[in-house]
Amino acid sequence: MTNATLANDARILDRIIRFVPHVVLLGLLIGAWELGARTGLITSIMIPRPSAIGGAIVKLYVTEGTIWRHFFVTLTEAVVGFAIGASVAIGLAVASSLSEVFKRYVIPYAIVLNVTPGIALTPVVIAWFGYGMGSKMALAAILCFFPIFVNTLTGLVQVDEDREDLFTSLGASRAQIFAKLRVPSALPLMFAGLKIGLTTALIGAVVAEFAQATDGVGVLMSRFSFQLDMASSIATLLSMTVIGLMLFYTMEFLDDRIVFWRRESRRAAASRAAARTWSGQAGK
Amino acid sequence: MKDQIMAPDTVAADIVVSGRGVGKTFADGSVVALKNADFGIKRGSFVSLVGPSGCGKSTLLRLVSGLIAPSSGAVTVHGTPVTGPRRDISMMFQKATLLEWRTALDNVLLPTEIAGTPTQADRNRAMDLLKLVGLGDFAFSFPAQLSGGMQQRVALARLLQTGADILLLDEPFGALDEFTRERLNTELMRIVAEVGATTLFVTHNISEAIFLADQVFVMTSRPGQVAKIVDVDLDRPRPLSIQTSPAFNALVADVRETLGAV
Ligand SMILES: Nc1ncnc2c1ncn2[C@@H]1O[C@H](COP(=O)(O)OP(=O)(O)O)[C@@H](O)[C@H]1O
Ligand SMILES: [Mg+2]
Repeated sequence: MTNATLANDARILDRIIRFVPHVVLLGLLIGAWELGARTGLITSIMIPRPSAIGGAIVKLYVTEGTIWRHFFVTLTEAVVGFAIGASVAIGLAVASSLSEVFKRYVIPYAIVLNVTPGIALTPVVIAWFGYGMGSKMALAAILCFFPIFVNTLTGLVQVDEDREDLFTSLGASRAQIFAKLRVPSALPLMFAGLKIGLTTALIGAVVAEFAQATDGVGVLMSRFSFQLDMASSIATLLSMTVIGLMLFYTMEFLDDRIVFWRRESRRAAASRAAARTWSGQAGK
Repeated sequence: MKDQIMAPDTVAADIVVSGRGVGKTFADGSVVALKNADFGIKRGSFVSLVGPSGCGKSTLLRLVSGLIAPSSGAVTVHGTPVTGPRRDISMMFQKATLLEWRTALDNVLLPTEIAGTPTQADRNRAMDLLKLVGLGDFAFSFPAQLSGGMQQRVALARLLQTGADILLLDEPFGALDEFTRERLNTELMRIVAEVGATTLFVTHNISEAIFLADQVFVMTSRPGQVAKIVDVDLDRPRPLSIQTSPAFNALVADVRETLGAV
């Protein structure tokens, strides 16, 4: 136990030490930027000083707090749009993997949807779903559909032939092959698709906000840019980065836990858990 | 040559796997993978299937397992024609084909899970089989934490977990290094003798084929056929050193001659 704690402490220290150069580099870049702006090397109307952006961040996020409503609107649009797009994509991928015929008829539409620039659908989507959050969710759903669909389908279909033979020779039903072989085999690729999809869903939500909306960080940002308040505009942009990071790391976390067998630390933990379950059962 | 194939001294009741005029073609008949194979495998015997790559060894094994159907002739197991996968036959492949999201124990339990819901007795049996193949301490390890040889041991335990009395092994240790392969072969002999299974073992290694077997089916290619059946009358248990004995070398020469002669 003490050894484990020590090793843990050492790892944390190690990470902090590796973090330091990044902080230093970022500090230098921001410092140079600030200096350039103050000496007039960079026009500060179009490219605001870091200190001005810092001021805008404090104002928007803390003292006035005006950004939060927009922040949660955009977050909701992206997440709900993603959930809809991902559900449809996974549903169609599962159906396509089960039926050759279904797949043959679905794939052309998926390809057409993919080669059509999704962002160009913005005016259409707004006409259909209005100025509110509906149109943002719709565009987010459309943009995240394809990567999730293709990755999930590929994962479900590309199963090792020897393993399929194994299941067949054991007399497995189609349902058993699907549940015990295809689905787990597909999970790594499916998560790869979900991670790409989350990012494109956020793009969809923000682009639709730029086009036409009353709430959301996209609206806020274009409003600030229009007023030439570039410091606030960039402070708003940062909120999109934060949303993006939050979504990405949530998915990364789920990926790491659900597809646990790819990482040694996770495997070791699962291995210990299995051993504990066994001793529990043996005791009965 | 034909009269050697019929193995006249076998008693019909003792034959658990037999093939009569078994043929298999692929690609609408343009590839003849197996032609007119006749064979019989005695209860509890160990048969090696040896031949050059592409001569139809895997095809013959898959026909016996019921994974594929013959284009002509029939394979009979325990007196009934093989029409599909069945519980009295279990198969092992060159690749371990373990599921990497399952522990070794859960991999061994897979056949039981497919047949129904595993009981504590099934789980205990899986654990015992892992001990039998020398992996008692690795029951809760995941495949990625095991070496290639250990993975094949898990696959061997899984093969035995089915409870099938006919075991089909398709070059099971072919991807392993020489030392590991020899050790696993020795253990395989011990284990199948212990469980009393009838075994059909595919290899392209002549010495390995003879060392393990009671009978060697020698296959030749283009078209694939069982060219000769060689009886291996060597005492068991067999030490590794038997492979340098004159009797062993005479058998190697016999097999080699058949393979070279066609
Ligand atoms: N599914 C298949 N489709 C077409 N040809 C096949 C198929 N399976 C095997 N063959 C052909 O049949 C022949 C025998 O193959 P196989 O039984 O795998 O040989 P071995 O196991 O002895 O190396 C080869 O020529 C191979 O290309
Ligand atoms: Mg083969």
